Amino acid sequence: MSSQARAILRVQCRSLWNFRTSEGVAGRLLAGALALLWYSLWAGLAVTAASLLDQPARAELLVILPWGLMSVFLYWQLAPVLAASLGATLDLKKLLVYPIPEGQLFAVEVLLRLTTGLEMVLVLIGSAIGLLRNPIVPRWAPLVALPLFALFNLLLAAGLRNLLERVLARKHVRETVVLLLVLAAGLPQLMVLTGPPLFLRQMAARKPLPFWPWVSFGKLAAGEAAFYDWGLIALWLAAAYLFGRWQFRSSLRFDRAAVEASATRPARTAAATERFFRLPSWLAPDPLAALIEKELRSLFRSPRFRLVFLMGFSFGFLIWWPVLRRPGQGLSGDYPVFVSLYALLLLSEVVFWNVFGFDRSAVQVYLTAPVSFSRVLIGKNLAAASLVTLEVTVVLLVCAVLRIPLAPLKILEVYAVTLILCVYMLAAGNLSSLYYPRAVNPEHSWGRASSARFQFLALLLYPVLGSPVLLAYAARFAFESQAAFFGMLGVAAGIGAAFYWVALDSALALAEQRKERLIEALGRGAGPVLTQ
Amino acid sequence: MGEASPAIAVRGLRKLYGDKAAVDGLDLTVPRGCFFGFLGPNGAGKTTTIRMLMGLAPATSGTIELLGLPMPDRALDIKRRIGLVPDESLLFDRLTGCEFLEFVGRMYGLPRATAAGRAGELLEFFELNGSPKKLIGEYSKGMRKRVSMAAALIHGPELFLMDEPFEGVDAVGARIMKGLLLDQVRQGATIFLTSHVLEVVERLCDRVAILHQGRLVMEAAIGDLRNGAETLEDAFVRLVGTERALEKLAWL
Repeated sequence: MSSQARAILRVQCRSLWNFRTSEGVAGRLLAGALALLWYSLWAGLAVTAASLLDQPARAELLVILPWGLMSVFLYWQLAPVLAASLGATLDLKKLLVYPIPEGQLFAVEVLLRLTTGLEMVLVLIGSAIGLLRNPIVPRWAPLVALPLFALFNLLLAAGLRNLLERVLARKHVRETVVLLLVLAAGLPQLMVLTGPPLFLRQMAARKPLPFWPWVSFGKLAAGEAAFYDWGLIALWLAAAYLFGRWQFRSSLRFDRAAVEASATRPARTAAATERFFRLPSWLAPDPLAALIEKELRSLFRSPRFRLVFLMGFSFGFLIWWPVLRRPGQGLSGDYPVFVSLYALLLLSEVVFWNVFGFDRSAVQVYLTAPVSFSRVLIGKNLAAASLVTLEVTVVLLVCAVLRIPLAPLKILEVYAVTLILCVYMLAAGNLSSLYYPRAVNPEHSWGRASSARFQFLALLLYPVLGSPVLLAYAARFAFESQAAFFGMLGVAAGIGAAFYWVALDSALALAEQRKERLIEALGRGAGPVLTQ
Repeated sequence: MGEASPAIAVRGLRKLYGDKAAVDGLDLTVPRGCFFGFLGPNGAGKTTTIRMLMGLAPATSGTIELLGLPMPDRALDIKRRIGLVPDESLLFDRLTGCEFLEFVGRMYGLPRATAAGRAGELLEFFELNGSPKKLIGEYSKGMRKRVSMAAALIHGPELFLMDEPFEGVDAVGARIMKGLLLDQVRQGATIFLTSHVLEVVERLCDRVAILHQGRLVMEAAIGDLRNGAETLEDAFVRLVGTERALEKLAWL
């Protein structure tokens, strides 16, 4: 590797180290513990792979290896996309000014694909150990085949990542593509619960076709590769290299500004959205109306928000459908409630937990404008609550279109439960936004919108915040009475309102104490490598 | 291509964003050893031009030659000989100034020890060595510009492309930077700079060009301007400015 490529990697390690040391011991320990837990799980799978491959007969090896390698391939190529995390990549905007040969940049980009496939590297190491211990497999075979298979995956992943990144830069395409990908993420769960479709069962029953890369690499790993397999491996590697290099070169020449400038909105749509954004001015006085209007405009112009909003009533339907399907009776009556609450959870990432994340410089305006900070928070909260209401309405409309039965009382329940929970989340979110502020790029369609530490805390917070609503359901179950349920919901709403005002007071005091840290945290950038 | 070729030669340069031309048929020649001021109102196309000169944005049409080499065909050779102070930050916020400068030096092919040595000297020169552990993310705007300038110098370039290099820099910092740039020109380097501070341009530059709505509306030697009755500001306002009708803001 050249000195320039080494310098890029070294400086990235330095950036990460400087970032981690500024995070404090608790943050580092938490991040370390979570990483340890995650990779321990994969290390366990690697041990299983090793024990599976160290003894079997040759015929079994030739069945297990292609399927195993296909799973590795699918995880490596698709998991980052489906998990909405494309991993680390070079920040080309900052590196292109230097005289770095394209080949070296590509080499670093390919190495960075390890960040989305470390789990698979563990599994491949486990497999290699198993094969090395297997007496019928020649020693050289796994040592040649598995690193080549990893290289094939790295090259292909580099190409796919660059292709996807450019596709997602196109305004009217990115949400559609991301939505399709995210919807696809729900398919495995659907298949687990409903069983795989017939064509997949037929495919699994058949022997894998011989030209697939996992078949040739599998034969090579077992020491059974014929001349034909060597040729196929060379072809697959060459194809992956050419694809990766081609896509990387296209990204280097990609002019994002020109692509964004070419997208225009039809005048009629523009007029309709303008009327929507002006709605708060009819309902509230300034500066509150101006704050809500600004919030709605910014959020709807953020690809990240639009994606989450779309997912609420699409992905939510897909993942809850198999869970709430009762054999022979159709869907559970609680289906719209579950979908709405799920949509609320999705929205929480962008409108509750880190409310200043998209604002960055606007937060300085809030702190200097002659408007009380409580107005700012209330404005943001009202905008968030309106968006939740809108999302619930869309969920109910989709239910109506899908002919899912909706009694008037059920509609009331959906709105009441979601909005009451929304009040609790707004209260907690105002505090978390000031405790754990984090700058977020609204142009990125996916990625984390709140800090890792807060995401962990949020896992503990959700059940606590949801407990008053859960109590209402417990009351309905215990007394078999809708009156008890709505009565308890009323109590939960009262407690929620009190909690909101207390939390708002604390948030105001916190904003005064931490304003400098807030501005600083929202202005942070990164190193030569971007993480998404 | 020898030393006789101009530092910058641009012919028919055009950049379209959708239907809008950010740069529209620009022809420009900057001789070697010249301190060249590239002026224009906001949105005139100055930054787009610099981005095209650096090969960061592809031109829709037209040709660019820097130091006698065609861009983007010989982009790597050109980049090795250019120092850039961009308008937007290309800094890495989670590095210290010294770490960043050493990194930049190594990107330009300097051995690590040389890069580290020059980084230390530049930090001292730009008075940024006071708090060596401070991350760039914690720097003030002026400090960020100074470190950008230091990064542009570390490999001893022949041509500097600078977008608003003095923006946010205090008087002392600006004085240091101006002195250094004039010294570079005396040593034969070429400087191509954009600035909205016309007094600075008038004092430093040998030649100026004014861009308006993507088109070149004037190119002249500063000496020729001085011989005339008007200052650079007068010429600038005459060519691109419209007299603002204050009476329209009666409420003010």
